[in-house]
Amino acid sequence: MNTTQTCEQKSFTLPIGPVHVALEEPMYFRLELDGERVRHVDITSGHVHRGMEALAAKRNFFQNVVLTERVCSLCSNSHPLTYCMAVETLTGIKVPPRAQYLRVMAEEIKRIASNLFNVGIMAHVIGYKSLFMHVMEVRELMQDIKEYIFGNRMDLAANCIGGVKYDMDEELREYADKNLEQVAMHLREIIDIYRHDPMIRARTQGVGVLPVLEAERLGLVGPVARGSGIRLDVRRDAPYAAYADLDFQVITESGGDVHARAMVRLREAGEGIGIVRQILRKLPEGERSAPLQHVPAGEAVARSEAPRGELFYYLRSDGSDVPLRLKWRVPSYMNWEALPVMMKDCAVADVTLIVNSIDPCVSCTER
Amino acid sequence: MPRFLKILARNLLKGPSTEAFPFKEAFTPPRYRGKVVMNPNLCVGCGICTHVCPGGAIMMKESEDQNGYYFMVWHNTCAFCGSCRHYCPVKAISLSQDWHNAHYQSEKYRMVEHHFVPYLHCSSCGAHIRRLPPALAARIYSHSSVDPATIIRLCPDCRQLATAKREGEVHESSPAPQQP
Ligand code: SF4
Ligand code: SF4
Repeated sequence: MNTTQTCEQKSFTLPIGPVHVALEEPMYFRLELDGERVRHVDITSGHVHRGMEALAAKRNFFQNVVLTERVCSLCSNSHPLTYCMAVETLTGIKVPPRAQYLRVMAEEIKRIASNLFNVGIMAHVIGYKSLFMHVMEVRELMQDIKEYIFGNRMDLAANCIGGVKYDMDEELREYADKNLEQVAMHLREIIDIYRHDPMIRARTQGVGVLPVLEAERLGLVGPVARGSGIRLDVRRDAPYAAYADLDFQVITESGGDVHARAMVRLREAGEGIGIVRQILRKLPEGERSAPLQHVPAGEAVARSEAPRGELFYYLRSDGSDVPLRLKWRVPSYMNWEALPVMMKDCAVADVTLIVNSIDPCVSCTER
Repeated sequence: MPRFLKILARNLLKGPSTEAFPFKEAFTPPRYRGKVVMNPNLCVGCGICTHVCPGGAIMMKESEDQNGYYFMVWHNTCAFCGSCRHYCPVKAISLSQDWHNAHYQSEKYRMVEHHFVPYLHCSSCGAHIRRLPPALAARIYSHSSVDPATIIRLCPDCRQLATAKREGEVHESSPAPQQP
């Protein structure tokens, strides 16, 4: 730590990270402090770069479905889904309606669990451990659904090129319905607590404020943008899979602070429950995947709304069974840029809380 | 705070939610994706599973005496993605509910699903052929008059000959087309 004495005031340079800032993911922050206040933030990333885009150009189209699922554990379903959508666009495969609905179901189940996880960690960061444990316990109901329907707690392995690998039956439907009912009940309570609890409000309201104009300037996406009142959601703006047939609200909050972003995530989890319930009710019969076809030479893009915001895939093929180039842009990439704005003049004690509020995903930013 | 105290009290009454494992069996859902298992009586040796396997966990290799092939799945390389099960045309390869993967370092080379699948001999010329399970043959030839039970015992060459002979017979026995 460098200390420079200027008259009465002390300026520090405080390194935070690269390990365990809010969660066990490495990111290095170099904070210029003025006493208790943060004046300047430098972010250094790249500690867990795994070269996945290069790996993707060495694997065939089937293998890449599984590779992309390993980009990020919390958005693990969005990556293979978007990748498959890009391959299907290039090939001209028409995904059957049942598969479209099952794809959305997997997406929303992951979204609910991911959002609960993030707001749970928020309680952990502010030291409200019992609430943290409770939210994680509720998320555990979602984990049970994943394990019961898909066979794994994180990597659902739901998608394949042309459709999905899993199917629903009456027993699974009942199981999901029963668990979702409980989650919905708990979620109502949790939303009430997060909205009104004086301790949570004191720590999160007015902290890490992101003005709308800044959010637009930085091109932010997902719950971070929606927390600042920007109505931006790929599911509604460019509906894919079965989203056009389903009823849901695009949740926005106007506060632009840590609290608003948490509320967006919680309310979105509620919308997610609504979407899954609609699917359980009106899942169409039929095939769960379309026949495979040769992937021609050419380019394609696809985008989707991952739990953290817009996810974008670019694919180029030369007609062989290995893609020439697979490139993705992840929501966290833009959202990192919001941190210097949010942290300007904040207290040192709020740094971790603000970092957590963009729901950062290092493993997909650096892939 | 009082809002949360209500929840806290309820959770206290509910007791711990952790499982007693390893002192008690943990609940495993029926669709759990655990260790890969393979049924050598069903495999047709098409190799689709090795093609789609992302980790390269599956290896198929002809035996030294060329009487069949070894089929191996390395559990430590497997990502439990279920692609092999999804694409296997005869559902010979599948995922079990067994998630007990902890083992000593010294046992790592034994963490494998290992099978030997023997070739059949062509009933006409004796050449080695990969097996075609009767159920799959019945599916493939469901729209044809061919008897799947005989055809699955022939190598591709003898199958061609048999087909040519049969077609020839059909043509000879049917009346010649009338010239207008
Ligand atoms: S489950 Fe996936 S990784 Fe494992 S053997 Fe099958 S295809 Fe390979
Ligand atoms: S297990 Fe299935 S996919 Fe693999 S070689 Fe045998 S029949 Fe083909």
